[in-house]
Amino acid sequence: MKKSLFVLLAVLVVFAFPAVAQGGKESASPKIGFIGPMTGDNANYGVLSNNSAMLAVEQFNARGGIDGKIPVVLVTEDSEGVAEKGLSAIEKLSSSDKIVGLVGPVFTGVSFAVGERVQNEGIVMLSPSATHADITNIGDYVFRTVVSDGLQGEVAGTYFANVLGYKTIGVLYAKNDYSQGLYEGMSASFVANGGTITIAESFNVGDKDFKTQLTKIRSANPQAIYIPNYTAEMAQILEQASQLGMRIPFLSCDGFSNPDIYNLAGDFTDGVIYVGPAKVKESPSFAKFVADYTSKYGVGPDSFATNAFDGTNILLAAMDKVYKATGKFDRKAVRDEVAATKDYAGVSGTINFAENGDLIAYQGLYKVNKITPEYLGTFTVVDGQLVQID
Amino acid sequence: MFNFFLLILIYTGIYALMALGQNVITGYGGMLSLTQAGFFAIGSYATAILATRLGWSFWATLPVAAILSAFFGLLIGLPTLRLKGDYLAIATLGFGEIVRNVLNNWDSLTNGPMGIQKIPMITVFGFVVNPYTKYAFLAMLFIAVFIAYLLFQRLARSRMGRALTAVREDEIAAQSMGINITKYKVYAFILGASVAGVAGSFQAAFTLSVSPGTYTFMVSVMVLCMVVLGGMGNFKASILGAFIIQLISYLPQLTGLTAIIPPQFKQILFGLILVIMMIWRPQGLLGRERIKYSKGGTR
Amino acid sequence: MGIAEFFQHLMNGLTLGGIYALIALGYTMVYGILKFINFAHGDVLMAGAFIGLFVFDWLRGSAPLGAWTIIAFFLAMVVSMAVSALLGMFIERVAYKPLRTATRLAPLLSAIGVSFILSNGAAWAFGTRSRKFNYPFDNTPITIAQVVITPHQILILAVSLVMMIALKLFVDRTRMGKAMRATSLDQPTAMLMGVNVNKVISMTFAIGSALAAVGGILIALDFKVYASMGTMTGLKAFVAAVVGGIGNISGAMFGGILLGVLETFGVAIFGIPTGLKDTIAFGVLILILLIRPEGLLGKVEKEKV
Repeated sequence: MKKSLFVLLAVLVVFAFPAVAQGGKESASPKIGFIGPMTGDNANYGVLSNNSAMLAVEQFNARGGIDGKIPVVLVTEDSEGVAEKGLSAIEKLSSSDKIVGLVGPVFTGVSFAVGERVQNEGIVMLSPSATHADITNIGDYVFRTVVSDGLQGEVAGTYFANVLGYKTIGVLYAKNDYSQGLYEGMSASFVANGGTITIAESFNVGDKDFKTQLTKIRSANPQAIYIPNYTAEMAQILEQASQLGMRIPFLSCDGFSNPDIYNLAGDFTDGVIYVGPAKVKESPSFAKFVADYTSKYGVGPDSFATNAFDGTNILLAAMDKVYKATGKFDRKAVRDEVAATKDYAGVSGTINFAENGDLIAYQGLYKVNKITPEYLGTFTVVDGQLVQID
Repeated sequence: MFNFFLLILIYTGIYALMALGQNVITGYGGMLSLTQAGFFAIGSYATAILATRLGWSFWATLPVAAILSAFFGLLIGLPTLRLKGDYLAIATLGFGEIVRNVLNNWDSLTNGPMGIQKIPMITVFGFVVNPYTKYAFLAMLFIAVFIAYLLFQRLARSRMGRALTAVREDEIAAQSMGINITKYKVYAFILGASVAGVAGSFQAAFTLSVSPGTYTFMVSVMVLCMVVLGGMGNFKASILGAFIIQLISYLPQLTGLTAIIPPQFKQILFGLILVIMMIWRPQGLLGRERIKYSKGGTR
Repeated sequence: MGIAEFFQHLMNGLTLGGIYALIALGYTMVYGILKFINFAHGDVLMAGAFIGLFVFDWLRGSAPLGAWTIIAFFLAMVVSMAVSALLGMFIERVAYKPLRTATRLAPLLSAIGVSFILSNGAAWAFGTRSRKFNYPFDNTPITIAQVVITPHQILILAVSLVMMIALKLFVDRTRMGKAMRATSLDQPTAMLMGVNVNKVISMTFAIGSALAAVGGILIALDFKVYASMGTMTGLKAFVAAVVGGIGNISGAMFGGILLGVLETFGVAIFGIPTGLKDTIAFGVLILILLIRPEGLLGKVEKEKV
């Protein structure tokens, strides 16, 4: 009995040794962190965005790194999509790795917990996909390279009501922070513009059978159905709706910008109209990013991964500037530099941050023709009015 | 790295509370319950809701969390404890899932999948226990675990502890000796539930936010593993088990090897340990504690 | 609610129930013989689906729907069943066999461990993305009096029914089945009577896992293939098995269908919020366990002193 305890201790010491050895020497390379779900039910979203962060760092280092000489190290930690694990991840990143800045977390729930922590610690954080309106209200160290639910929902609601002219919409959303946030944002402005949400059905994360909900929505007979969900669920919904013989137009959100949807749902995507990131006109950098990403990882990036790529690059650029000016990586200085980002030409478009750390951005509208999204235009909402930018 | 170790100790403390409760239920009562996550969630949400909506202090929410969890323990315990072995495991597992499902869907009370944020920090005589700096929080948690340990240790030597042991070893024999098995089983269940509720309160005060995603079936399984790994029917071992399992869970992060070790590694390792442990040392690291009744002073 | 909508809900519930029943059969088979909850059953199902997917895609190449795709699908299923059976036997040998005489807790925890290893191993090896399993046949929905059903749904119901009958015949009529029943009743005595208990148990796992593979592939057609696909579906199927009376083959079928219909009707007709679908399933479970712990079609076992 005592023996087994000793064996256990010995194993732990062996495991801990490289860490101690590692911690001993001060490495010259500055580190940045990434937090996202790498395991668990939503692992795919963490993996896709982490790929982007890795790609950005790799390309940055290939260009010479900070000041043309210092490579940057990316440290990825798994949050499992759970706040408690997210906290342990940021703890490790901040105290063991001494990261300069953080890309992530991917999900809203984890972002709330981690955001409070980075604010307290003074580490700049750029989330690629935490869309909840309140995230950036945590404090001045919290930024995001994704549009908040607020704006996306507003554009969606006003566009559906005023441009598409729908009077009634049915909604099928998941009981998770992302999906429910979009549903609430969209329905608020849709109703404000004279529309009615005839029926709102939900499902739990992990559900794959939506026929019951779809049958109920079909009976309520709305003019269109809004499905603000993640890719796999949307593919499932579209396929099952077609199996039920539903011929109602579907409306969707930025989750639809993941090209995987066309593998999973095939032709069923025909006719879907979705709100996504605004498209940069004739952007060669975006095409290059998609090509690099796809050739490296074998799958295409979704819009969150695109955001993660921009977020990582903004952070790296800020670090580069701070280092050139001061010769060190002060977390506060890096935060200020991120906040001062002006007209950054990212792959997702031109990036500016609002006072509170929100992304100032426009929304793009797309309509899918068979399996190819066609761009309808760039929109934003000013004082409750939909404005087309181009 | 030292800071990270402190964090592991804090998580150990929170889970140790749950493990102590599980040990009363499973180690002493012999009941295979898989629902600590449910009580954990109830405790967390009780603290989160009372503190943010009604502005209660942590110390006022703590007993509410304990009593509420105990109440649900009674509610689920009374009917299901008639069930045996595997059936009880399934029924309690179902209860845990129901709790999470309801928390995720009762938006008006729990804020649904968005969770509850900005839970105020604990204050002790005007002194703020900041979870970020950890020391004070750890000290407080340590005291809580210690108190729980002493109470349970005393309980184990009491009439109830002996009754539970008898029930576990042979229910029918115990019944024929005049022991009211249902009563003691329900007691054990209530105690186990309430301490998990307390753990939930501390969890909420540490993470300062709660969301339904935390309280999965995995939590219940982990707690059960802690008890089994340490050694059933041994409170010290439950705490040791909690420490070891947490250490394993965070080993890649603690050693700074997350870049090399694939993220699934810890779950795979966890699975391997379960299997290997069951085959080679099913009685746990420390084994069951033998209680000597010959000494005076304990009744 | 219109009559057409009612029947559509009924159809949805029946086919969802068919999926539960398909998986529940495997659970119940193992439990019936060994009195042991094989928590890893859902993960064997996932493994089966992955194997089926790889073999099918490889055999099919880019062939259009037709006779060849159906043959390829059957071949993929046979290969997947065989490999899954081996996997099941291997798991039993390594993780459960040493625990046959241990407390009930030990094999349960060991099974949970195996489940972690399989699902996370698959996530590590194959990634976390959902993969599409293409229908090998034309899945255009059929409309009968405004009620829509797909050929795939009919297939699921048919296969679970056939599997149930085959399994029942196997257990009731064959020599091996007799040996299984004997083992289930009393292992030591069965051994004394010349039953090769090790072989019987190995066989039980082989059959259970092959059934899981069939379920996995059929479900994957509709729900896609991904590493965590076995977890929740497995849990629900398990609930179905218990509701029907775990260990009872027709009970698994009955429980699965009942659960599918109750979940659907609870949401569609009784107006329970759709988010609480799981609560219905587990609520029914607890209720059944309280009223009839042995399940609706299960046999009461007397406890002996």
